[in-house]
Order: sequence, then C-alpha cells, then structure tokens
Amino acid sequence: MLPDTTPVTPDAHTLALRLRFFRIDPGVLARLAALRPFAERTMSDIIDRFYEHLLSQPETRDYLDDPALVERLKRKQAAYFLGMFRGEIDLAYVQGRMKVGAVHAKLAVATQWYVGACTHYLQLIHEHLHRERASDEERRASFEAIERIMHFDVSLAIDAYIARHHESRLRHQEAIRELSTPVIRVHDRVLLLPLVGTIDSARAQRVMESVLVRIGEEHARVLLLDIAGVTVVDTQVADYLLKTTSAVRLLGAKTILTGISPQVARTVVELGVDLTSLYTRNTLSDGLDLALSLLDKQIRTIDQERV
Amino acid sequence: MTPGAHASSTERLQIEAEADVVVVRRRARELAIAQGFDAFAVAAITTAASELSRNVWCHGGGGHALLETVSDAGRVGLRLRFIDEGPGIADLELALRGGCSTGRSLGLGLSGSRRLVDAFHIETSPGEGTTIEVLKWARFPH
Ligand SMILES: Nc1ncnc2c1ncn2[C@@H]1O[C@H](COP(=O)(O)OP(=O)(O)OP(=O)(O)O)[C@@H](O)[C@H]1O
Ligand SMILES: [Mg+2]
Repeated sequence: MLPDTTPVTPDAHTLALRLRFFRIDPGVLARLAALRPFAERTMSDIIDRFYEHLLSQPETRDYLDDPALVERLKRKQAAYFLGMFRGEIDLAYVQGRMKVGAVHAKLAVATQWYVGACTHYLQLIHEHLHRERASDEERRASFEAIERIMHFDVSLAIDAYIARHHESRLRHQEAIRELSTPVIRVHDRVLLLPLVGTIDSARAQRVMESVLVRIGEEHARVLLLDIAGVTVVDTQVADYLLKTTSAVRLLGAKTILTGISPQVARTVVELGVDLTSLYTRNTLSDGLDLALSLLDKQIRTIDQERV
Repeated sequence: MTPGAHASSTERLQIEAEADVVVVRRRARELAIAQGFDAFAVAAITTAASELSRNVWCHGGGGHALLETVSDAGRVGLRLRFIDEGPGIADLELALRGGCSTGRSLGLGLSGSRRLVDAFHIETSPGEGTTIEVLKWARFPH
C-alpha cells in the first residue's frame, strides 16, 4: 500500500517563510479582512460568471456535465472565496487550500486549466473592485492584497499537484518492479520460469525469447511455468502462456503450468480461456514430479531403493 | 448508472501507456480489498479492470478510467468506468460474442469481463469512442 494522497503540509515555520516570500504581512491580512463586506456583496456575481466561463470552455466543461454538481461546487467556491477575506492564514487554512489542489489533481484537471481559471477569477474580482468607490491608491492596494493571497493559494495547490504526481510515479515504479523474470535450471533438462507480478507485452516477448534460447542451449525437455506469483491472469497472460507453450513444443520440450490459485482457475474459466491443452499441476513440487516422470525419472526415497 | 446506489468520490486515472493498465488494475484491486471483497471477487474485478483498461489503451487509443466505491441497501461494491474517444466498436455483437479479435490475441477480454462482473453496460459509436461501465458487488458484505 502506498501512503495516502494527502500531501505534506508545511509546519508553522515554513508557513511563516512562505507568507513572507509572498509578502503577505499583517497589513495585507488586515486589508483583506476589511474587504470582507465587498467580498460578500460581489461573491455571487463573481462565482456565477466564473462558472459561466468554465462552462464555455471545452477543456473545463467536461468536468462539469452535471448541473447539480455545478451547484454544489458553487457553494464550495463561495466558502473558498470568503476564506481569503478572513484576515488570517493558519495551518488549517493551508491544509484546506492544499486539499482543493489535491481534489483537482485527483480529477486530473491539468494545472494549466487550474492556474488559468485562477487568473480569470482574479480578473472578475478586478472588474468589481474597479466599480468600488475608492481612491486609485486604495483600489490598487486592495487588488494587490487579493492578488497575493490568490497566488499564495495557487502555490499551495501546485504543491498538492506535485505530491499527487510523485505518488503516481511511485505507483508506476512499483508496477515496473513487478516486471522482471529469471529462468532457473532446477534439474538436468528441466527449467523453471517463475512468473512474478505483471507480464506486459514487451517483457513477455523478451522473456519468451530468453526461455526459448535457454531451452535450446540446455537441451531442456521440460519447462515449468510457475504462475503462483502472477497477480492477474487475464487474456493477455493466458495468450502468452499458450504461445509460449506452442513455441516450447516446437523445440521438442513440454510445458507444465503450475501455481494456479483457485481464484485464477475460476477467473480463467469465466474469461473463456481454454488452458486444458497444457499440462497443469497445482503446486510447483507436483509439477516437478510430473516433469521427472515425463523424463522417465522418479525421485525414489532411499528407503524405496533399498526395498 | 446503477439505480439506488450511492457512490463515493470518484477517482480518475489516465490510461495512456501500458503501465497505466497496471496502475488501474492495482488500484481496482486495492479498492476491492478495502471494500471487503472475497478473494474470488477481487480476482474477478481486477481481471475485468485489466481487460477493459487494456482495450482502452490498445483499441481506444487511450482514455481514462473512473473508479468509485458504491453502496446500496447495505451491500458495497465497486463501479468502474472506462472511457475513450477512439474508433468505437463497429460490430458490438460480434465483439461481445468472444473469440473475435481485430488484433492477434484471443479476443476474449470483452466477453469475459462481462461474465466476471455483476453489471455491464457499454456505449459505443463509430468514430466517437467507447464507454464501458461495470459494477461488482462484494460477495460477502459485512
Ligand atoms: N475500447 C475499444 N475501442 C475500440 N474497439 C474496441 C474496444 N474494446 C474492444 N474493442 C474491439 O472489440 C474486440 C474484442 O475485444 P476483446 O477485448 O474481447 O478482444 P481483444 O482485445 O482483441 O483481445 P484480448 O482477448 O487480448 O482482450 C477487439 O478486438 C476490438 O476490435
Ligand atoms: Mg482486450
């Protein structure tokens, strides 16, 4: 299992550093708090027009195909919007903002749309600020404060995106690690190929080729194909097993399939794949017994030999 | 959509490379285990996820999967959707009959997946893509 998707949130110290970097000081926060009545007044228009914009763009419209969803998001957006005018940025605020980013990342909203939408949002706020009765100086200071906190929020969202991306990289790496496979000589003329994890098409090709070469080199008569470590036997794996078996047969050797779990047996039957043309044994050791008997050898216990 | 079923938040995974097929089915497996699916049901939904996401990748030219857990009248399940905007399936009846592949494989992925799940719904139109929705209930609800 991989760690949860929630990204690492900064502590109080890094939060203070980040606020300083974004030049969000107590003055800016106080200004934002003072803008709260403005925010409450203009909020519904800004949010409506924001969603109008999102719905007019094919890239963002796809995510908003359900009117009930849009309504729900608008309500969330209102809370998000007012959050900027609380006059306070604490760790809970940071967590909330990162969660917003994480949700967008999870839905695979590309960062370009996320950042682009924020820019549009800012523009809508700007328009409204322009209509306020205030001096140019005041307006500029207000806009700057809003701009800073929005950019601060976006930076948190991007952190969440990066964390999500990192996590999906880890997942891929894990998946790739599943893909390696060695051929082992277990007995004179008997080779074992323990398949583990995932068999992707490129690797299947390579593994099959190396198995065939080894069979040729060792004059092997039997190949034990153990699939106990394979998580999923789907049609691609089944196809691979069947193709390997026929290629091995062409080299004059036999394939024994071992390590089929009850779940895999059931699934393969439901899929409609016919593996009955293969020798199969439940366990690897039963498979080895069969291999030896196919080679006309038996492992006799010393006792039996003495008899 | 399954009537009456309540769904959790949806997880979206891109399917653009073969490794994504592995990621999708691993995630489906994790969710199934977390939902308390028994080993047979886990194998079934994981295999169906593998088949259908591979079809998205190799026939549909890539797309995405949506994964969500659902609950309905005390039972829990997993709903998976596979969406692509590829060529669509020209002869759906033939494709669902099984044993017919436009590639060089067995051609059993689609028909087999349908047997592995509890509900199977497919929408496809030529040139516009394919959406397949499957639902699997945990066999032994707790
Ligand atoms: N998402 C899709 N988009 C377009 N065509 C598809 C899609 N999924 C399936 N098909 C078509 O349906 C046929 C049957 O699919 P199915 O998964 O059963 O077989 P396959 O993928 O060819 O082989 P395999 O047995 O390895 O899965 C495919 O050959 C393909 O032509
Ligand atoms: Mg297929």
